[in-house]
Amino acid sequence: MARRTTKIRVATVYALAGAGMLAYLWSSETPPPLGLWALFAAAFAFLDWRSVEVNERLLMSPTVMVALTAAVAFGPGHAALGVATMAVLGAVSARDVRQRRLFQPVANFGQMVVTAGTSALVLEQFLVRAEAAGGGAFWSWAALGSAAAAIVYVVVNYAMVAFAVRVVFRQNLKAWSHLGELLPSYVAMGFVGGLLGATITRTEVVLPLVFIVFLIGYQNIASFGQLREAHAATLRGFVKALEAKDLYTRGHTERVAEFSALTGQELGFRGTRLERLRWAALIHDVGKLAVPRELIRKRGRLTTDEYEELQRHAHMVEEILAEVDFLQPMVEIASAHHANYDGSGYGGRGHNEGQRPSVEASILAVADAFDAMTSTRSYRMALSQSYAFSELRRNAGKQFDPEVVEAFIRAIEKTGHTFGSPFLDDPEQARLLAEGKVDAHG
Amino acid sequence: MGEPRFRIGLPFVPIAAGVGAVALVVLLLPQAAVSPIVLAIWALLFAEAGLVRVPAASGNRLSLAFIIGAAMPILLRAPDSFLPDAASVGVVYAAGVFLLAIVRLLRHDDLSRVSADGLRLGFGLAVYATVYSLVLLSLEISVEVPWSADPWNRFASFAVAAALWVITEAGLWALMTEARDGISKRYLWLLGLGDWMVMLSLLATGALFGFAWDEMGMWAILVAGLPYAFAHVAFFRYLEARSTYGQTIRALSRIPEVAGLSLDGHSDRTAGLAVETAQELGMTPREVDEVRYAALMHDIGRITLNEPNILRRGFTDEDLARWGAEIVAEAPYLRKVAGLVRRQHEPYRRPGEERDPSLPMASKIIKAASAYDQASMELGFSSLEALEVLHRGAAYDFDPNVVRAVRKVLTRRGVV
Repeated sequence: MARRTTKIRVATVYALAGAGMLAYLWSSETPPPLGLWALFAAAFAFLDWRSVEVNERLLMSPTVMVALTAAVAFGPGHAALGVATMAVLGAVSARDVRQRRLFQPVANFGQMVVTAGTSALVLEQFLVRAEAAGGGAFWSWAALGSAAAAIVYVVVNYAMVAFAVRVVFRQNLKAWSHLGELLPSYVAMGFVGGLLGATITRTEVVLPLVFIVFLIGYQNIASFGQLREAHAATLRGFVKALEAKDLYTRGHTERVAEFSALTGQELGFRGTRLERLRWAALIHDVGKLAVPRELIRKRGRLTTDEYEELQRHAHMVEEILAEVDFLQPMVEIASAHHANYDGSGYGGRGHNEGQRPSVEASILAVADAFDAMTSTRSYRMALSQSYAFSELRRNAGKQFDPEVVEAFIRAIEKTGHTFGSPFLDDPEQARLLAEGKVDAHG
Repeated sequence: MGEPRFRIGLPFVPIAAGVGAVALVVLLLPQAAVSPIVLAIWALLFAEAGLVRVPAASGNRLSLAFIIGAAMPILLRAPDSFLPDAASVGVVYAAGVFLLAIVRLLRHDDLSRVSADGLRLGFGLAVYATVYSLVLLSLEISVEVPWSADPWNRFASFAVAAALWVITEAGLWALMTEARDGISKRYLWLLGLGDWMVMLSLLATGALFGFAWDEMGMWAILVAGLPYAFAHVAFFRYLEARSTYGQTIRALSRIPEVAGLSLDGHSDRTAGLAVETAQELGMTPREVDEVRYAALMHDIGRITLNEPNILRRGFTDEDLARWGAEIVAEAPYLRKVAGLVRRQHEPYRRPGEERDPSLPMASKIIKAASAYDQASMELGFSSLEALEVLHRGAAYDFDPNVVRAVRKVLTRRGVV
C-alpha cells in the first residue's frame, strides 16, 4: 500500500502545481481569441488522445509543436494562459479511460499545465523583444525564443515524468531505449512550432498548412511506434512458431529473455544495448525449428551424434533469419550462445575458434544453462537453484564467463524468487526420475 | 520475357521531349517578368532537389523536386498581382526538368526511365500550375479591386491544384508501369494513390515555403525544411516496418525448406506465380499482399512433420492446411492470411455438389500456383505439361478463371 500513498502524494503535488499555474496566469494574462484557441486546442487534444507508445512506459505525441505554434500565434499577454488551458484537455488519454485509472490523468494535468505554461512564459519574453525589434530581427528573436521554449518544454516535461515514474514505479526512465533519438527530434518539433506560429502572425494563409505539418509530426512519431510494433511482432512470430513445434520449450524462451535482461542490467546495460540482449534471447532457439522434432523431445539420453545435431541449431538461426535485417546484430549473439568462455565449443558466425565470446553471448549462455537446469526436460526432472548456481560457478572460467556468472547470481538473488526444484540436487537421480526408474523418494 | 506492348524508351521520345523543353525555355524567357538570374537559381535548385528521390510504398520514387515545383506558381508572380507569371514558371519547370534529366543521364541512369520520369514530372507540373492559375483567376475575377485580394484564394487554388497533381502522378505512374511490367492498371492506380500522404507532405512543405518566402526570406527554408525532414524520417521508418513484415514472413516460409521438409524454393516460386496471377485477376494491392503472404506460408504446417506419431498415423492435405493455419494465426497481423491458408486445399467444386461460393479467390490461386510448381519442379514436368495438369483439373480442382490467369502469366513470362 506504500505505492498507493506515494501515488496520491505525487498526484496531489502535481495537480496543485498545475492549479497554481492556472490561477497565476488567470490573474496576469487575458485569454486569446476564442476561435483561434478552439482551433489549436482541438488539434492539441486530438494529437494527445492519439499518443503513440514509443517504449514500455512512455507515450509521445507532437503536442509540443501545437503548443508552441499556438503560443506565438496568441501573442504576448495571452500565450501562457491560452496554452496552459489547452494543456488541460490533454490530461486524459485514451488508455486512461480504457484502464479506468486516476493517477495518470491527475498527475498529467499538473505536469502538462506546468510544462506548457512555463515554456510559453519563456517564449513571451522573447516575443516582446521580437515585436520591438521588427524587420529582419523579428525572425531572429522569434527563432531564438522558439528554441529556448522548446528546450524548456522538453526539459520540464521529461523531468516531471521521470520524477513521477521513479518515485511511484521505482523505475528509471533512462533504462528505456531510443530516448537519445527521440528527445532531440522532439526539441526540433517545438522549434518548428514556434517558427510556424511566427509565420502565422505575418502570413495568415499558412494556417491550414500548419495543421498538415502537425500531421507530419504525428506521422513521424507514429512511424516510430509502427516500426517498434513490426519488430515486436517479428519476435512474437518466431517465439510462437517455436512453441507450436515444441510445447516443451514453452516459457523457456521468455524466461531466458527475462534472466538475460536482469543480468544485463546488473552489468550496467541500458537502453538499446539491453533491448538488443533481450531480443537476442528471444530468438536464441529459433534454429531448433530446423532440427527434427523427435530429437528435441527425446526421452532418455542423447547419443553423441544426436547431441551434435542439437548443437547445430545454434548455427541454423543464422540461415533462417538471414534475410531479417534488423535482427542481424541479435543473430550474431544468438548463434554464439553455445560458444565457451575458454574459446572452445560451438558457435556460429559470432564466434571465432579460440576467442572469448561477447559479453552478450556469455550472458545468454549462462541464462540458457540455468533455465535448462532448473526446468523439467524430457530426459530429466528440474534441479534445484542452489545446485544450478554451484554448477555455474564450477564451470566459470571454462564454459562460462566468471564475471557474468557472479552478476547473474546477484541478479537472480535480487528478484527474491527461487527457481527449480526445492530438493533435487543430484542430476543422476533427476534423470532416473524422468525415466521412471525410481520414485521421488527413492 | 514477352514483348512489351509499347516501349517508352523509343529513342525519338526523349529527343523530342528534350528539344521541346529547350524550345520552351527559349520562347518563354523573353516574356518572363522575373529576372533570368533568379529563374536560373530556381531551375538549378529544382534539378538538385530532383536528384533526391524518396521511395514510396508503391515502389514509385517521388523526388524533392515536388517541393520546389509546388512553390513556384506561388512565388513567381506577375507584377502587382497574385497570379503566377506563366512565362517565368514555365521557364523554371522546363529548364529544371531538362537539367535534371541531363544530370541523371550523366550519372548513367537508364534512358527510358529518365525520359519516363521526366515526362511524368513535366506533365504533373503543367497540370498543377495550370489548375492553380485558372482557379485563382476565377476566384479573383469576382473581387472588385483586382489582385488586392484575399490570400485565402491562393490557398484554395493550391489545394485544388495539389489534389489534381496527386491524381495525375498516380495515374501516369500506373500507365507507365503497366506498359513496362504488364501489371493490371487498376491494381497500380490504387497502389499509386496510396502514396498520397508522401505527395501531400512534399506539396504542403512546398506551399509553406512559397507562402512564407515573401515575409521570412531565408527563414522559410528552415520552416519548410524541418517539417520535410520529419516526413522523410517517417517514410523511411514506415518502409522499414513494411519490409520487416515481409522479411519475417519470408524467413518463416523458409523453415520447412531449411528443415528439409519441402522442396527448396517452393514457397518463393509459388508466391511469385500466385502474386502475378492475383494481379492479372485485378485484385487490389491489399488483397495481393494477402495472397503473397498466404502463398509464402502455405506449407508452414509441414514443420510438424517431424513428429513420429503423425508420420505413423498419416495425415491429409486438410490436416497440413489446418496445422499451418494454426501457426499463422498466432501472429495477430496475419489473422486473415490464416483463413486463406486453412482453405488452400479445398477443390473448386466437388463432383455432384454445388460449388462453395465462400471459398476465397486467394486460396484458389494458391492451390493452382502450388500445384503448378509441384508438377514442374518436383515431378519434373515441362512448363507446358505442368500447365496441362491445371487445365485437366479446371472446373473441379481448380477455378477455370484462375487457370486462365495462370496461363496468361506464364505466356507473359515466355515459358509456355
